[in-house]
Amino acid sequence: MTVYSDEIVCSPRAGTLYDVLELILDRGMVIDVFVRVSLVGIEILKIDARIVVASVDTYLRFAEACNRLDLEHDTRSKTVPELFGGPVSRTIGKAGAKRTARSLTDKVRDVLTPDDDEGDDDADSRTEDAPRPVRKRRSDDDRPRPRRRKAEEE
Amino acid sequence: MTATAALTTAGTLGTLYVYGIAPEGVQTPRAPGVDGAAVRLLTEDGLCAAVSDAPESVRARRRDLMAHQAVLGELAAQGPVLPMRFAVLTPDAESLRGQLRTDRAHLMSQLDGVRGCVEMNVKGTVVPGCFADLVRRDDTLRTLARRTRERPGYEANVRLGEALAKGVAREARGAARVVLAHLAPLAVRTAQGPVDDEQVLSTSFLVRSADEQRFRQAVAAQARDVGDRLALGVTGPLPCYSFVEAPSATAGR
Repeated sequence: MTVYSDEIVCSPRAGTLYDVLELILDRGMVIDVFVRVSLVGIEILKIDARIVVASVDTYLRFAEACNRLDLEHDTRSKTVPELFGGPVSRTIGKAGAKRTARSLTDKVRDVLTPDDDEGDDDADSRTEDAPRPVRKRRSDDDRPRPRRRKAEEE
Repeated sequence: MTATAALTTAGTLGTLYVYGIAPEGVQTPRAPGVDGAAVRLLTEDGLCAAVSDAPESVRARRRDLMAHQAVLGELAAQGPVLPMRFAVLTPDAESLRGQLRTDRAHLMSQLDGVRGCVEMNVKGTVVPGCFADLVRRDDTLRTLARRTRERPGYEANVRLGEALAKGVAREARGAARVVLAHLAPLAVRTAQGPVDDEQVLSTSFLVRSADEQRFRQAVAAQARDVGDRLALGVTGPLPCYSFVEAPSATAGR
């Protein structure tokens, strides 16, 4: 699993399998006479990530955070977790804010990389049975995340 | 997207899964291939292809994606390699050998193109935290925020939120351009990947192995500079997926 230190948001993240997924699937050489098997599930997974990004939920979250801003006085002391506050910052503080910052595509990443050690096969069922499983993640945003394990138990 | 096709050939006797092509003389990768199959090399005319028996069906399972990657990683550690896309099959060993002969010149020159190089992939995602600064700086947004407070409501919130989301993404895209301008000179070539409202930077860099550390340091420096707007991630060294081209124009991307 990628480890997030508590102090800084700005160090580059180490890559996960998700980060190279499009390279493995869409780049690389294909020679004419060879056959490439079509992989349907993956496309759906990607599209799903895209849709959620532009969701009303995201907008409302922005608006809510903005409505808590002091517009008249320039108080720059506020930290990111406070601004993106609510349950996230109360329960897991900085790490939570960072997760918000890393945001939605990471949810998909998580689906594909349940653990960086011995991860078994859950990308399988995810990609094959497509849209259903990925749906849930929005509502999970605010929780510390025990939910990842669910995938393995299925 | 890419070619769909003939699932019927998968699992037929003789069908091979192809990982990549390297110059003759590399050692056989020890990592298990897709579906756990043993990987072997087919050598022809100065080139060799890493293959394994094709599984009954190829699916983008986590384990198999990792296997594909691991086999290529072993080859890449030994020298230049032309990585195939995931899930490429050849009907049998003979067609593959024939292809290696026919395309020899092209494949050799492609190998030269990536020799001594690795692919580094840099992605940048929007950091929403900067929106507070943005509201203070941007008159339009501030006005919108005030108006939303005066006349709150669902619609108003959605409108405000959308404007903020767009503003934040715009900031991130600006930062992405800066990052790109700083990193590109360190690379031999670059290849842009798909971007969207959330992931605004996705670019692969063909970097000389000798420059890998320098490149990483540059990414880290950029990450610090733009961290309030853009979260950077770097993956690599990778086989040069983004810097190989198929022999005929109709095949590749």
